[in-house]
Amino acid sequence: MKGAELVLKVLQQHGVDSIFGYPGGAIMPIYDALYQSSVKHYLCRHEQGGAFSAIGYARASGKVGVCMATSGPGATNLITSLADAMLDSVPVVAITGQVSQAVMGTDAFQEIDVLGLSLAVTKHSFMVRSVDELAATLNDAFAIALSGRPGPVLVDIPKDVQLAELDYQPEATTSVRPVPVATSLANAAKARALIAGAKKPVAYIGGGVHMAGAMPQLQQFLAANPMPSVTTLKAMGSVAKDNAHYLGMLGMHGTQAANLAVQQCDLLICLGARFDDRVTGNLQKFAPLAKVIHVDIDPAEINKVRFADAALLGDMQQILPAISAGTDCADWLNHCAQLKQQYGWRYDHPGERIYAPLMLKQLSERMPDNSVVACDVGQHQMWVAQHMRFSHPRNHLSSGGLGTMGFGLPAAIGAKLARPQDTVITVTGDGSFMMNVQELATIKRFRLPVKIVVIDNQRLGMVKQWQQLFFNARYSETDLSDNPDFVALAAAFAIPGHCITRKDEVESALEAMFTWPGPYLLHVCIDDKDNVWPLVPPGAANEDMITEAKA
Amino acid sequence: MNHILHITASNTPAVVERLLQVTRYRGYQLTGLQMTPRADSRSVAIRLSVSGDKPIHLLTSQLHKLYDVQQLELAGSELAVLSA
Repeated sequence: MKGAELVLKVLQQHGVDSIFGYPGGAIMPIYDALYQSSVKHYLCRHEQGGAFSAIGYARASGKVGVCMATSGPGATNLITSLADAMLDSVPVVAITGQVSQAVMGTDAFQEIDVLGLSLAVTKHSFMVRSVDELAATLNDAFAIALSGRPGPVLVDIPKDVQLAELDYQPEATTSVRPVPVATSLANAAKARALIAGAKKPVAYIGGGVHMAGAMPQLQQFLAANPMPSVTTLKAMGSVAKDNAHYLGMLGMHGTQAANLAVQQCDLLICLGARFDDRVTGNLQKFAPLAKVIHVDIDPAEINKVRFADAALLGDMQQILPAISAGTDCADWLNHCAQLKQQYGWRYDHPGERIYAPLMLKQLSERMPDNSVVACDVGQHQMWVAQHMRFSHPRNHLSSGGLGTMGFGLPAAIGAKLARPQDTVITVTGDGSFMMNVQELATIKRFRLPVKIVVIDNQRLGMVKQWQQLFFNARYSETDLSDNPDFVALAAAFAIPGHCITRKDEVESALEAMFTWPGPYLLHVCIDDKDNVWPLVPPGAANEDMITEAKA
Repeated sequence: MNHILHITASNTPAVVERLLQVTRYRGYQLTGLQMTPRADSRSVAIRLSVSGDKPIHLLTSQLHKLYDVQQLELAGSELAVLSA
């Protein structure tokens, strides 16, 4: 058996059924082995798109996403996606071909130091020097990707290793064995005392909860300890829809109720989140009255930006029941309910033009249960987080940490392949869509019934909004009014579509999109003057939100 | 403030680069580096001297996360707030 064949065998042993990639010279032996493999390869049209599809696959399913690329430009094209997976803690294994070891270090054709490039964008990376260490290295890659705080792992395989023969007797199955999580409950009593004594507690929920498989424990915790809850972008869908105390997303574009509750609380229970700057606003003024309980799997997040009065490290499934103490905060719950009512969203937008928040609310109400929405980055991304409701964080795929435009379309492809039974929608903007538009060819090739909603304001909307507010309306390079005809563009890939401009067209257009059995593009034209509200300006405290009325 | 870290790590090709990359990115200056392979050549002993204004636990907690790092100790009486 050749090393290249062994790669496929090991992937099969790890239960990998789908991989995303693009061939090239230094990875040709693996693609040759793939030719007769049962592992299904999805040819993307750019390595960045392939890796985003692997991320979408991983985030929608909870399994490891796998992508492949050749050496040099193939590998460098993966870097942005790996960085995205790194910042959002997504388990991905990236396999790159490398030039043969005999010419490594000679600036050979399509040679670049991939191991060196990988350091800042992966949880770990390997360069395989011998075919004898190939299987163990790949097994380690899967274990590392899934262990503790998940993340991307890159395995660089020189061509001579791919071509080398070895006598290998594979095991029938190889279960992924993530390194067990050490859990410390040493501060559980302290946390319970803080919860029991709090008059104004708030649960601040991040992506670490669902990634720990602790969604049931979270609902039980919130039921046993009634308190207002807020979520990060990555945790949308973590709180059960029938939980009356849920206040929505916090942070720069969070709900006013969520931000005001956090600013007023006396205890902030941070569950699998990391006090990101888009969450805290001015850190010195963030939740100024609150003591903090911080629960996380990553020791490096404890006391990184905010001191924790009680820190608990390890498995969220064990920790949540251990810190349950019961709460007594009826007045606080009533106060937060009033905030929620007082600052609820309004959809009575004047005029005939489509109001994106209302359109997304309609989309949310009309989409089938358990639909997956893959976002891009910008204004539409924030509108999705504000105005759509999700039943699970795996149904809302959004590039949180890196904020990578071009994420949505390929992530939707990966999600659709991971969960073919579920409806998958990508909500994108006219700027983001063009960043990985080539993946329409992947949708066409595999006849993937992905629904594409392009919200088009002919601008790089979020940058334009900041130029308007903070740069004296000097609109430098944010005009996209020469966008292509998106419906015609989709048609070139055999994807039907429709363009709407008026509110009264929305319901029938959504009906047509969902009724159509295949992929479909809905081009939604909105006013370029519409902005995302509320907004916490840079450097401000989260209670100092700008609203449309104040702007 | 100056700190000295004694690190035992797997002897892999990029291990020193990983340590230096994290040190730089997290905002500390490198002031000294010594590296000695162990007798079995599977691991290396590294003495890393750094300076920085931030609390040192912000660096040690990130270095602990590196897959190749087996052991990390601060010289003298300093201790990382949390260790992996």
